[in-house]
Amino acid sequence: MREKIEREVAPRLIVAASTVTLPARIAAAARRASGRSGRLELYFGFDDPASAFAVIDLAQRLEGRKLIFDLKPVVERGIEGDPALERKHAYAIVDGRRLGRRIGLTLSRSEPIAPSQAAFLAAWVAAAPRGAALTRFCDAACRMIWFESDGALEAAPYEALWHQCFGSAPTGDEAAVRANEKQMTRRGPYETPAAWVAGRWFFAQDRSAQIADWLDELGWRVK
Amino acid sequence: MSAPRVDYFYSFRSPYSYLSGPRGFALADEFEIDLRFRGVIPMMMRGESVPTAKRLHTMRDVKREADRLGMPFGRIHDPLGEGATRTLAVSEYAIDAGRVREFVLTASQAIWGEATDPASEEGLRLICENAGLDWAGCSAALNDPAIAARVEANTQELVEIGHWGVPVFVFDGEHFWGQDRISDLALVLNDAGLARN
Repeated sequence: MREKIEREVAPRLIVAASTVTLPARIAAAARRASGRSGRLELYFGFDDPASAFAVIDLAQRLEGRKLIFDLKPVVERGIEGDPALERKHAYAIVDGRRLGRRIGLTLSRSEPIAPSQAAFLAAWVAAAPRGAALTRFCDAACRMIWFESDGALEAAPYEALWHQCFGSAPTGDEAAVRANEKQMTRRGPYETPAAWVAGRWFFAQDRSAQIADWLDELGWRVK
Repeated sequence: MSAPRVDYFYSFRSPYSYLSGPRGFALADEFEIDLRFRGVIPMMMRGESVPTAKRLHTMRDVKREADRLGMPFGRIHDPLGEGATRTLAVSEYAIDAGRVREFVLTASQAIWGEATDPASEEGLRLICENAGLDWAGCSAALNDPAIAARVEANTQELVEIGHWGVPVFVFDGEHFWGQDRISDLALVLNDAGLARN
Protein backbone atom coordinates (compact mmCIF):
# COMPACT_ATOMS: atom_id res chain seq x y z
CA MET A 1 0.00 0.00 0.00
CA ARG A 2 2.78 2.43 0.98
CA GLU A 3 4.55 1.54 -2.25
CA LYS A 4 1.42 2.37 -4.25
CA ILE A 5 1.05 5.73 -2.49
CA GLU A 6 4.70 6.69 -3.06
CA ARG A 7 4.95 5.53 -6.66
CA GLU A 8 1.50 6.41 -8.02
CA VAL A 9 -0.89 8.27 -5.74
CA ALA A 10 1.43 11.02 -4.44
CA PRO A 11 2.89 12.00 -7.85
CA ARG A 12 -0.59 11.97 -9.37
CA LEU A 13 -1.92 14.26 -6.62
CA ILE A 14 0.99 16.69 -7.03
CA VAL A 15 0.35 16.89 -10.76
CA ALA A 16 -3.43 17.23 -10.32
CA ALA A 17 -3.04 19.97 -7.69
CA SER A 18 -0.75 21.90 -10.03
CA THR A 19 -3.60 22.27 -12.53
CA VAL A 20 -5.90 24.10 -10.08
CA THR A 21 -5.97 27.72 -11.24
CA LEU A 22 -9.25 29.16 -9.94
CA PRO A 23 -7.92 30.78 -6.72
CA ALA A 24 -5.10 32.52 -8.62
CA ARG A 25 -7.49 33.71 -11.33
CA ILE A 26 -9.90 35.11 -8.73
CA ALA A 27 -7.06 36.89 -6.93
CA ALA A 28 -5.82 38.39 -10.22
CA ALA A 29 -9.32 39.56 -11.13
CA ALA A 30 -9.65 41.17 -7.69
CA ARG A 31 -6.35 43.01 -8.19
CA ARG A 32 -7.51 44.34 -11.54
CA ALA A 33 -10.90 45.36 -10.12
CA SER A 34 -9.14 47.43 -7.47
CA GLY A 35 -6.94 49.10 -10.12
CA ARG A 36 -3.75 47.29 -9.14
CA SER A 37 -1.18 45.71 -11.47
CA GLY A 38 -0.02 42.12 -11.69
CA ARG A 39 3.47 41.22 -10.53
CA LEU A 40 6.18 39.01 -11.96
CA GLU A 41 9.10 38.44 -9.61
CA LEU A 42 12.36 37.53 -11.29
CA TYR A 43 15.04 36.03 -9.04
CA PHE A 44 18.33 36.41 -10.85
CA GLY A 45 22.08 36.73 -10.39
CA PHE A 46 24.31 39.20 -12.23
CA ASP A 47 26.99 36.48 -12.16
CA ASP A 48 24.84 34.10 -14.19
CA PRO A 49 24.57 34.27 -18.02
CA ALA A 50 21.18 32.51 -18.04
CA SER A 51 19.93 35.26 -15.71
CA ALA A 52 21.25 37.92 -18.06
CA PHE A 53 19.34 36.29 -20.90
CA ALA A 54 16.15 36.13 -18.78
CA VAL A 55 16.34 39.79 -17.74
CA ILE A 56 16.81 40.97 -21.35
CA ASP A 57 14.25 38.56 -22.80
CA LEU A 58 11.51 39.12 -20.19
CA ALA A 59 11.91 42.91 -20.27
CA GLN A 60 10.87 42.72 -23.93
CA ARG A 61 8.19 40.06 -23.54
CA LEU A 62 6.38 41.81 -20.68
CA GLU A 63 5.92 45.06 -22.59
CA GLY A 64 2.24 45.87 -23.03
CA ARG A 65 1.04 43.93 -19.98
CA LYS A 66 -0.12 45.75 -16.87
CA LEU A 67 2.54 44.13 -14.75
CA ILE A 68 5.22 45.13 -12.28
CA PHE A 69 8.50 43.51 -13.38
CA ASP A 70 9.88 42.94 -9.89
CA LEU A 71 13.62 42.38 -10.34
CA LYS A 72 15.01 40.55 -7.32
CA PRO A 73 18.77 40.05 -7.43
CA VAL A 74 20.33 37.30 -5.33
CA VAL A 75 23.89 36.22 -4.62
CA GLU A 76 23.75 33.06 -2.51
CA ARG A 77 21.52 30.35 -3.96
CA GLY A 78 21.58 26.80 -5.31
CA ILE A 79 21.12 23.32 -3.91
CA GLU A 80 22.97 22.96 -0.61
CA GLY A 81 26.04 20.73 -0.95
CA ASP A 82 25.48 20.35 -4.70
CA PRO A 83 28.32 18.07 -5.89
CA ALA A 84 27.94 19.35 -9.46
CA LEU A 85 28.23 23.06 -8.61
CA GLU A 86 31.56 23.74 -10.35
CA ARG A 87 30.57 21.73 -13.42
CA LYS A 88 27.29 23.68 -13.59
CA HIS A 89 29.19 27.01 -13.50
CA ALA A 90 31.44 25.88 -16.35
CA TYR A 91 28.48 24.55 -18.35
CA ALA A 92 26.62 27.84 -17.83
CA ILE A 93 29.13 29.51 -20.14
CA VAL A 94 28.53 26.96 -22.91
CA ASP A 95 24.79 27.27 -22.41
CA GLY A 96 24.94 31.06 -22.24
CA ARG A 97 26.33 31.13 -25.79
CA ARG A 98 23.25 29.27 -27.01
CA LEU A 99 20.85 31.51 -25.11
CA GLY A 100 22.61 34.60 -26.45
CA ARG A 101 22.26 33.30 -29.99
CA ARG A 102 18.48 33.16 -29.47
CA ILE A 103 18.33 36.92 -28.98
CA GLY A 104 21.04 37.78 -31.49
CA LEU A 105 23.81 38.41 -28.92
CA THR A 106 27.26 36.87 -28.64
CA LEU A 107 28.61 35.97 -25.21
CA SER A 108 31.79 37.96 -24.56
CA ARG A 109 33.05 35.85 -21.66
CA SER A 110 34.64 32.42 -21.59
CA GLU A 111 34.97 32.08 -17.80
CA PRO A 112 32.33 32.10 -15.03
CA ILE A 113 32.05 35.10 -12.68
CA ALA A 114 32.17 34.41 -8.92
CA PRO A 115 28.86 35.45 -7.29
CA SER A 116 30.77 37.64 -4.82
CA GLN A 117 32.23 39.73 -7.70
CA ALA A 118 28.78 40.86 -8.78
CA ALA A 119 27.38 41.28 -5.26
CA PHE A 120 27.72 45.08 -5.36
CA LEU A 121 25.28 45.23 -8.28
CA ALA A 122 22.78 43.04 -6.43
CA ALA A 123 22.96 45.38 -3.42
CA TRP A 124 22.32 48.47 -5.58
CA VAL A 125 19.36 46.93 -7.39
CA ALA A 126 17.81 45.47 -4.24
CA ALA A 127 17.86 48.97 -2.67
CA ALA A 128 16.22 50.74 -5.63
CA PRO A 129 12.53 51.33 -6.32
CA ARG A 130 10.89 49.03 -8.92
CA GLY A 131 10.03 50.61 -12.23
CA ALA A 132 11.17 51.46 -15.74
CA ALA A 133 14.49 53.00 -14.66
CA LEU A 134 15.47 49.88 -12.74
CA THR A 135 14.48 47.61 -15.63
CA ARG A 136 16.57 49.77 -17.99
CA PHE A 137 19.56 49.56 -15.66
CA CYS A 138 19.34 45.76 -15.19
CA ASP A 139 18.86 45.14 -18.91
CA ALA A 140 21.85 47.34 -19.82
CA ALA A 141 24.04 45.99 -17.01
CA CYS A 142 23.37 42.38 -18.02
CA ARG A 143 24.31 43.23 -21.61
CA MET A 144 27.50 44.97 -20.45
CA ILE A 145 28.57 42.11 -18.19
CA TRP A 146 27.86 39.15 -20.44
CA PHE A 147 27.77 40.41 -24.01
CA GLU A 148 30.09 43.43 -24.09
CA SER A 149 32.97 42.84 -21.64
CA ASP A 150 35.40 40.33 -20.20
CA GLY A 151 37.62 40.15 -17.12
CA ALA A 152 36.96 41.40 -13.58
CA LEU A 153 33.88 43.52 -12.86
CA GLU A 154 34.78 47.12 -12.00
CA ALA A 155 32.18 49.33 -10.35
CA ALA A 156 32.93 52.52 -12.35
CA PRO A 157 31.15 51.76 -15.66
CA TYR A 158 28.09 50.51 -13.77
CA GLU A 159 28.04 53.63 -11.59
CA ALA A 160 27.98 55.69 -14.78
CA LEU A 161 25.15 53.56 -16.14
CA TRP A 162 23.23 53.95 -12.89
CA HIS A 163 23.60 57.70 -13.13
CA GLN A 164 22.21 57.63 -16.69
CA CYS A 165 19.16 55.64 -15.54
CA PHE A 166 18.43 57.33 -12.20
CA GLY A 167 20.24 60.66 -12.28
CA SER A 168 21.87 59.89 -8.92
CA ALA A 169 24.54 57.68 -7.37
CA PRO A 170 23.69 54.11 -6.29
CA THR A 171 23.35 53.07 -2.68
CA GLY A 172 23.61 49.44 -1.63
CA ASP A 173 21.45 47.35 0.68
CA GLU A 174 22.89 43.91 1.37
CA ALA A 175 20.10 43.11 3.83
CA ALA A 176 17.61 43.53 0.97
CA VAL A 177 19.60 40.99 -1.07
CA ARG A 178 19.46 38.52 1.84
CA ALA A 179 15.68 39.16 2.03
CA ASN A 180 15.38 38.34 -1.69
CA GLU A 181 17.32 35.10 -1.15
CA LYS A 182 15.00 34.11 1.71
CA GLN A 183 11.91 34.99 -0.28
CA MET A 184 13.19 32.97 -3.25
CA THR A 185 13.61 29.92 -1.02
CA ARG A 186 10.11 30.40 0.41
CA ARG A 187 8.65 30.64 -3.10
CA GLY A 188 10.33 27.36 -4.08
CA PRO A 189 13.07 28.11 -6.65
CA TYR A 190 16.51 26.72 -5.87
CA GLU A 191 18.32 28.14 -8.90
CA THR A 192 18.40 31.28 -11.00
CA PRO A 193 16.89 32.63 -13.11
CA ALA A 194 13.43 31.88 -11.73
CA ALA A 195 10.22 33.74 -12.49
CA TRP A 196 7.41 33.65 -9.93
CA VAL A 197 3.88 34.70 -10.83
CA ALA A 198 0.79 34.20 -8.66
CA GLY A 199 1.89 31.02 -6.92
CA ARG A 200 3.77 29.38 -9.79
CA TRP A 201 7.45 29.51 -10.57
CA PHE A 202 9.22 28.87 -13.83
CA PHE A 203 12.76 28.39 -15.14
CA ALA A 204 12.89 31.92 -16.56
CA GLN A 205 15.38 31.21 -19.36
CA ASP A 206 13.36 28.33 -20.83
CA ARG A 207 9.70 28.87 -20.06
CA SER A 208 8.75 32.10 -21.77
CA ALA A 209 5.84 30.36 -23.53
CA GLN A 210 4.52 28.95 -20.24
CA ILE A 211 4.94 32.31 -18.50
CA ALA A 212 3.01 34.07 -21.27
CA ASP A 213 0.25 31.42 -21.13
CA TRP A 214 -0.04 31.80 -17.36
CA LEU A 215 -0.19 35.60 -17.55
CA ASP A 216 -2.90 35.35 -20.23
CA GLU A 217 -4.85 32.89 -18.09
CA LEU A 218 -4.65 35.27 -15.14
CA GLY A 219 -5.95 38.07 -17.36
CA TRP A 220 -2.71 40.08 -17.54
CA ARG A 221 -2.84 40.11 -21.33
CA VAL A 222 -0.96 42.33 -23.76
CA LYS A 223 -3.06 45.45 -24.43
CA MET B 1 31.97 7.56 -44.70
CA SER B 2 29.90 6.87 -41.59
CA ALA B 3 27.43 9.45 -40.31
CA PRO B 4 28.59 11.64 -37.39
CA ARG B 5 27.61 10.26 -34.04
CA VAL B 6 25.23 11.82 -31.53
CA ASP B 7 25.05 10.14 -28.11
CA TYR B 8 21.71 10.41 -26.34
CA PHE B 9 21.95 9.77 -22.57
CA TYR B 10 18.55 8.96 -21.15
CA SER B 11 16.94 7.72 -17.92
CA PHE B 12 13.53 6.07 -17.75
CA ARG B 13 13.12 7.63 -14.30
CA SER B 14 13.60 11.16 -15.64
CA PRO B 15 10.39 12.85 -16.78
CA TYR B 16 12.50 15.34 -18.73
CA SER B 17 13.99 12.40 -20.65
CA TYR B 18 10.43 11.32 -21.40
CA LEU B 19 9.60 14.81 -22.75
CA SER B 20 12.72 14.73 -24.93
CA GLY B 21 11.94 11.35 -26.50
CA PRO B 22 9.86 12.17 -29.60
CA ARG B 23 12.02 15.18 -30.56
CA GLY B 24 15.27 13.44 -29.61
CA PHE B 25 14.69 10.43 -31.82
CA ALA B 26 13.30 12.63 -34.61
CA LEU B 27 16.76 14.20 -34.97
CA ALA B 28 17.79 11.06 -36.82
CA ASP B 29 14.96 11.69 -39.32
CA GLU B 30 15.99 15.30 -39.87
CA PHE B 31 19.77 14.92 -39.96
CA GLU B 32 22.37 12.50 -41.35
CA ILE B 33 23.56 11.32 -37.94
CA ASP B 34 24.20 8.07 -36.10
CA LEU B 35 21.97 8.62 -33.05
CA ARG B 36 23.07 6.29 -30.24
CA PHE B 37 20.64 5.72 -27.36
CA ARG B 38 22.55 5.44 -24.06
CA GLY B 39 20.27 4.37 -21.19
CA VAL B 40 21.64 5.28 -17.73
CA ILE B 41 20.87 4.28 -14.15
CA PRO B 42 18.74 6.95 -12.33
CA MET B 43 20.55 9.56 -10.20
CA MET B 44 18.87 8.37 -7.01
CA MET B 45 20.13 4.82 -7.63
CA ARG B 46 23.65 6.28 -8.05
CA GLY B 47 23.63 7.66 -4.52
CA GLU B 48 22.73 11.23 -5.50
CA SER B 49 19.93 12.96 -3.62
CA VAL B 50 17.23 15.19 -5.08
CA PRO B 51 15.83 17.89 -2.76
CA THR B 52 12.07 17.86 -2.14
CA ALA B 53 11.63 21.34 -3.66
CA LYS B 54 13.23 20.12 -6.87
CA ARG B 55 11.14 16.93 -6.97
CA LEU B 56 7.89 18.86 -6.50
CA HIS B 57 8.77 21.50 -9.05
CA THR B 58 9.79 18.88 -11.60
CA MET B 59 6.34 17.26 -11.48
CA ARG B 60 4.58 20.63 -11.92
CA ASP B 61 6.93 21.90 -14.61
CA VAL B 62 6.82 18.67 -16.60
CA LYS B 63 3.01 18.67 -16.50
CA ARG B 64 2.96 22.14 -18.06
CA GLU B 65 5.57 21.21 -20.65
CA ALA B 66 3.81 17.93 -21.46
CA ASP B 67 0.55 19.83 -22.05
CA ARG B 68 2.37 22.25 -24.33
CA LEU B 69 3.93 19.36 -26.28
CA GLY B 70 0.67 17.39 -26.38
CA MET B 71 2.12 14.45 -24.42
CA PRO B 72 0.20 12.54 -21.74
CA PHE B 73 1.56 13.05 -18.21
CA GLY B 74 0.18 12.52 -14.73
CA ARG B 75 -0.88 8.88 -14.46
CA ILE B 76 2.56 7.95 -13.14
CA HIS B 77 4.23 4.83 -11.81
CA ASP B 78 7.64 5.83 -10.43
CA PRO B 79 10.01 3.13 -11.78
CA LEU B 80 12.81 3.74 -9.24
CA GLY B 81 14.61 0.42 -8.58
CA GLU B 82 13.61 -2.75 -10.43
CA GLY B 83 11.36 -0.94 -12.87
CA ALA B 84 14.24 1.22 -14.06
CA THR B 85 16.81 -1.58 -14.28
CA ARG B 86 14.45 -3.92 -16.14
CA THR B 87 13.48 -1.20 -18.61
CA LEU B 88 17.14 -0.34 -19.17
CA ALA B 89 17.99 -4.00 -19.83
CA VAL B 90 15.23 -4.33 -22.40
CA SER B 91 16.27 -1.05 -24.06
CA GLU B 92 19.68 -2.61 -24.77
CA TYR B 93 17.96 -5.65 -26.25
CA ALA B 94 15.76 -3.29 -28.30
CA ILE B 95 18.91 -1.63 -29.72
CA ASP B 96 20.08 -5.05 -30.94
CA ALA B 97 16.60 -5.79 -32.31
CA GLY B 98 16.46 -2.47 -34.18
CA ARG B 99 13.45 -1.20 -32.21
CA VAL B 100 14.98 1.05 -29.59
CA ARG B 101 13.00 4.13 -30.61
CA GLU B 102 9.70 2.25 -30.41
CA PHE B 103 10.60 0.70 -27.07
CA VAL B 104 11.88 3.87 -25.39
CA LEU B 105 8.89 5.96 -26.46
CA THR B 106 6.39 3.23 -25.53
CA ALA B 107 8.00 2.46 -22.16
CA SER B 108 8.37 6.11 -21.17
CA GLN B 109 4.77 6.94 -22.01
CA ALA B 110 3.63 3.85 -20.11
CA ILE B 111 5.56 4.99 -17.02
CA TRP B 112 4.69 8.72 -17.09
CA GLY B 113 1.30 8.75 -18.74
CA GLU B 114 -0.34 5.39 -18.13
CA ALA B 115 0.89 4.29 -14.66
CA THR B 116 2.28 1.01 -15.97
CA ASP B 117 4.64 -0.76 -13.57
CA PRO B 118 7.66 -2.07 -15.50
CA ALA B 119 8.86 -3.94 -12.42
CA SER B 120 5.93 -6.34 -12.87
CA GLU B 121 6.01 -9.07 -15.49
CA GLU B 122 2.58 -8.08 -16.73
CA GLY B 123 3.53 -4.40 -17.09
CA LEU B 124 6.86 -4.92 -18.81
CA ARG B 125 5.49 -7.57 -21.12
CA LEU B 126 2.71 -5.25 -22.25
CA ILE B 127 5.26 -2.49 -22.96
CA CYS B 128 7.53 -4.86 -24.90
CA GLU B 129 4.71 -6.25 -27.01
CA ASN B 130 3.33 -2.78 -27.73
CA ALA B 131 6.82 -1.82 -28.94
CA GLY B 132 6.91 -4.83 -31.27
CA LEU B 133 9.46 -6.83 -29.28
CA ASP B 134 9.28 -10.58 -28.58
CA TRP B 135 8.82 -11.31 -24.89
CA ALA B 136 11.19 -14.30 -24.90
CA GLY B 137 14.08 -12.11 -26.06
CA CYS B 138 13.18 -9.37 -23.60
CA SER B 139 12.99 -11.84 -20.71
CA ALA B 140 16.39 -13.25 -21.56
CA ALA B 141 17.88 -9.73 -21.58
CA LEU B 142 16.73 -9.15 -17.99
CA ASN B 143 19.23 -11.70 -16.71
CA ASP B 144 22.03 -11.18 -19.20
CA PRO B 145 25.20 -9.90 -17.48
CA ALA B 146 26.55 -8.54 -20.77
CA ILE B 147 23.46 -6.34 -21.12
CA ALA B 148 23.81 -5.13 -17.51
CA ALA B 149 27.46 -4.28 -18.22
CA ARG B 150 26.41 -2.12 -21.20
CA VAL B 151 24.04 -0.11 -18.99
CA GLU B 152 26.78 0.27 -16.40
CA ALA B 153 29.19 1.50 -19.08
CA ASN B 154 26.68 4.09 -20.32
CA THR B 155 26.21 5.37 -16.77
CA GLN B 156 29.94 5.51 -16.15
CA GLU B 157 30.47 7.45 -19.36
CA LEU B 158 27.89 10.05 -18.35
CA VAL B 159 29.79 10.56 -15.10
CA GLU B 160 33.13 10.71 -16.93
CA ILE B 161 31.99 13.42 -19.35
CA GLY B 162 31.04 15.44 -16.26
CA HIS B 163 27.27 15.47 -16.43
CA TRP B 164 24.91 15.34 -13.52
CA GLY B 165 21.50 14.91 -15.13
CA VAL B 166 19.65 13.72 -18.20
CA PRO B 167 18.75 13.92 -20.97
CA VAL B 168 22.13 14.85 -22.43
CA PHE B 169 23.09 14.85 -26.10
CA VAL B 170 26.75 14.81 -27.11
CA PHE B 171 27.82 15.83 -30.60
CA ASP B 172 31.44 16.39 -31.60
CA GLY B 173 32.45 16.82 -27.93
CA GLU B 174 29.75 19.44 -27.24
CA HIS B 175 27.14 18.68 -24.59
CA PHE B 176 23.48 19.67 -24.75
CA TRP B 177 21.79 19.17 -21.38
CA GLY B 178 18.02 19.11 -21.19
CA GLN B 179 15.01 18.72 -23.40
CA ASP B 180 15.07 22.49 -23.88
CA ARG B 181 18.33 22.27 -25.83
CA ILE B 182 17.21 19.94 -28.62
CA SER B 183 16.46 22.93 -30.85
CA ASP B 184 19.98 24.30 -30.16
CA LEU B 185 21.49 20.93 -31.11
CA ALA B 186 19.41 20.98 -34.29
CA LEU B 187 20.91 24.40 -35.15
CA VAL B 188 24.43 23.04 -34.64
CA LEU B 189 23.68 19.96 -36.77
CA ASN B 190 22.26 22.24 -39.42
CA ASP B 191 25.35 24.47 -39.29
CA ALA B 192 27.46 21.30 -39.74
CA GLY B 193 25.66 20.64 -43.04
CA LEU B 194 23.96 17.49 -41.79
CA ALA B 195 20.34 18.35 -42.66
CA ARG B 196 18.68 15.76 -44.86
CA ASN B 197 17.28 17.12 -48.11
